[in-house]
Amino acid sequence: MPIEIPKDKWLGSIRTVTIGATSAEGGTRAKTVTVGGGTTMPYLHFKAPTPNKPAIAIEIKSRKPTDWSPLLAEVWGEAMADPAQWAKKAEEAGADLIVLALTVEDSPEDAVKAVKSVLGATGLPLIVWGPGQAEKDNELLVPVSEATKGEKLVLGICEDKNYRTIVATAMANGHLVQARAPMDVNLSKQLNILISDMGMPKDRILMDPTTGALGYGMEYGYSVMERLRLAALQGDAMTQFPMIVTPGFEAWKTKEAKVGEGVPEAWGDWKARAVNWETLTALALVESGADILVLRHPESVKRVKDTIEELITA
Amino acid sequence: MNHTLTFTHDDKQASVTVPTNTLLADAARLAGIDIAQPCGGQGRCGRCAVQVTEGQVRRRSTLRLSPSDVEQGYALACQTVVEGDAAVYVPPQEKIERRLTTDRVVAEVTVPDDYEYPFSQTVRRVHLTLTPPSMDDQTDDWARLQTAFRLQHRFEAVTCSLPLLRTIGSTLRAGDWNVTAIIETSRLSDHQTIRLIDLLPGHEDEYSPLWGAAIDIGTTTVTLWLVDLVTGQVKAQVAEYNGQIARGEDVISRIIYASKNGGGDELRQRVLETINELLERACKRVKLPQGKVTPDQIVKATIAGNTTMMHLFLGIPAASIRLSPFIPAVNHPPALTARDVGLNINPEAAVDCLPGVASYVGADITAGVLASGLDSAENVTLFLDVGTNGETVLGNRDWLVTCACSAGPAFEGAGVVNGMRATTGAIEEVWINSDTLEPTYRVIGGGKPKGICGSGLIALLSEAFITGVIDKGGNVKLDAPSPRVREGAHGGEYVVAWGRETESGEDIVLTRVDIDNLLRAKAAIYAGFTVLAENVGIPLESVDKVLVGGSFGKYINVEKAVQIGLLPDMEWSRFEFLGNTSVKGAYLALLDWRKRERITEIAKRMTYIELSADNSFYEAFTSALFLPHTDLSKFPSVAEVLEKS
Repeated sequence: MPIEIPKDKWLGSIRTVTIGATSAEGGTRAKTVTVGGGTTMPYLHFKAPTPNKPAIAIEIKSRKPTDWSPLLAEVWGEAMADPAQWAKKAEEAGADLIVLALTVEDSPEDAVKAVKSVLGATGLPLIVWGPGQAEKDNELLVPVSEATKGEKLVLGICEDKNYRTIVATAMANGHLVQARAPMDVNLSKQLNILISDMGMPKDRILMDPTTGALGYGMEYGYSVMERLRLAALQGDAMTQFPMIVTPGFEAWKTKEAKVGEGVPEAWGDWKARAVNWETLTALALVESGADILVLRHPESVKRVKDTIEELITA
Repeated sequence: MNHTLTFTHDDKQASVTVPTNTLLADAARLAGIDIAQPCGGQGRCGRCAVQVTEGQVRRRSTLRLSPSDVEQGYALACQTVVEGDAAVYVPPQEKIERRLTTDRVVAEVTVPDDYEYPFSQTVRRVHLTLTPPSMDDQTDDWARLQTAFRLQHRFEAVTCSLPLLRTIGSTLRAGDWNVTAIIETSRLSDHQTIRLIDLLPGHEDEYSPLWGAAIDIGTTTVTLWLVDLVTGQVKAQVAEYNGQIARGEDVISRIIYASKNGGGDELRQRVLETINELLERACKRVKLPQGKVTPDQIVKATIAGNTTMMHLFLGIPAASIRLSPFIPAVNHPPALTARDVGLNINPEAAVDCLPGVASYVGADITAGVLASGLDSAENVTLFLDVGTNGETVLGNRDWLVTCACSAGPAFEGAGVVNGMRATTGAIEEVWINSDTLEPTYRVIGGGKPKGICGSGLIALLSEAFITGVIDKGGNVKLDAPSPRVREGAHGGEYVVAWGRETESGEDIVLTRVDIDNLLRAKAAIYAGFTVLAENVGIPLESVDKVLVGGSFGKYINVEKAVQIGLLPDMEWSRFEFLGNTSVKGAYLALLDWRKRERITEIAKRMTYIELSADNSFYEAFTSALFLPHTDLSKFPSVAEVLEKS
């Protein structure tokens, strides 16, 4: 007797969001990236297919970072001093998108120049982050947004205390926004409501639930993402946005990834450990429904992409 | 098609001819009558209500009008259009305000019908006439007094403190063996015991006032009622911020401060100072033909307050209250005297500290339950104390469950830049015009504003939200087109009153920090009662009545309290405002020993639910930390208003 596997009947689904615009669409990108569209919990192929697989973004900075692990400096080399070069190498390393993080030292002109040079160096869609200080973010992102009208960039990072300026400029110039809330279903939802209330179309919002690295609160972030996905499937319109997460940033600030000396011998080889830390953090988030993963090390990118491929084809 | 409208206002009449579908407000203006529209003509405030005495009109909205108002012809001038000839009466502004608020105004304190001095009262005045001693009757003074008690009043066991004993000889002689005794009877066991509180020379008028005080020691506000125990009447009501605020705004920081070297003693002195000042102030308010009232004439005080306040007031170490498993030193303090606790009233005066339930549900709530009548309610009733500790009680005459959540002092006007208590000079009601973002406000006492009290803050937050001055997250929209919206020292702010209008000459503002404090306060209270209701499996919709207590002054505007998500979205008729229920409960217990016993019963009956036991409170709290709530479907009436604006 054939056994019928019971299937959940969900009321809602994840919105489909496309980042980047080709010349036909008013931009200059060689390709676009589409994420979201899920209609069930992740990778339950017997219930529903995964319409868009998670995309990998590689994070680069507008200036050579001084506080990054030497392991990252080793692999990216001289390119780290030039965002255009770095972006090119990131594309070669398999990135689907580039995240360009601006710094507090950048003037608005520097920021526009860095963004333009990255757009010129690669055909990948682009996510641009401000340096993470409200005033500076607004000062840099507004001119960047205006100078790249129609490219469908993602601008970030919007938080509940500072979102209005970024959302307004993204709306005016046809970009998307990244909305970050501190690991809480309600707070994520509230920020999405605030952004939607300003009139931002719902297919131009990515939510960033914030995550912790392996051993640093990852399981908490994981369960928040799982609950956001469940709420979305249950029909809550304000949680139905694709999720962008930053395991690279989180993993590379842990002692395990950052420090090679003066740690217990049992920790093993530094490089292997560091890359494992980033990879494992990222993979757990893939399982919990992440749509875009922002990574830093090319080896992690390769491993995460391989695993996603296996999940999709399994 | 044109119609003729006749307006009557200020005993004058004016007629005007207007086409069909003209707004009554516009027609009135043509007729030379300016009808105030504080909300900007959106039909939100109800201030433009007029009475259509004859003719045809069409009401687009009757928000804020009851069915009986409509039956009487009331209509909102900004929402009602002309459909035929009509006669319209425009009432004076004050009359409208009264009509809008009467149903929610807290009633004046009335003496309970069943109060009967001296039978209900434990403290009373008795006359004694002693046989003077002689060479033939050499009984000592104290035994002579006891004999008089026994023979003239059948009081068998009379006790007396040593300090009082030292004075009785001279008092007896000063009164030429006629004295008035003030005694306390207690019913601890089967036999009655009598304690001598005071002995006065001569026979005082038996029905002249005998003074008592009902005191509520709030974390933020201390309230005191001075009561004539003979008539039961409240003769003065005074309140002041608790002097302990300078050492921490919430109970936890007070407990921590008290645990430091000398901290407990300082906090005790601070609250005693506050109470002793209030006693002076209350006594000064009373004018009697017999002369002045002074605090030393007060012979009984009944104290309500949360468990921490009670500990600090009595100088009992409170540290165990905040440490797991959260056990207070005492829930029900024994009978005490003013000398014991340090109140500046008659040192022998009875000081009765009401019983609490647990570390975070104290005597303020047991007293509040008595005052609200919740313990005898037939249907499921919710009682909210909108104070610093946000206690909630749900139940009826058969069961009572309770919880507490730290809401902070925002609704008492503390922790808010221009906040103040609900006294003269406080802005108690605000409307913001949605087009111009200009406010209209009402000040208690009618003079220049000094600050904003709890009800004013609720109104202001709601208006700022509905008119788009702030977003749902409480962020001030700095791009809003008004000079009143500006960047201040604490982020975005809204100017309610310019310096030229205010008492101090400084602008009165609502800042981002204030908004955050108000949001946290309302979220804690909302989360408290929703989680409590969930815990006992009672859907909020099935709650018959919501009783709201708190130091709000006259009333809070239900509509606005719902709009900010402080109160659940249900018909306004289900809410009832009781004012400060804690002091009211203390007052009832001060008067009547039967009510006092009921409070003990209530304390025994209440089941305490610890909100920190699982995640559900935090979850409910963060979802309520939004205007009105993250889940707008819980607030259909607010969704409707937002849709319109």
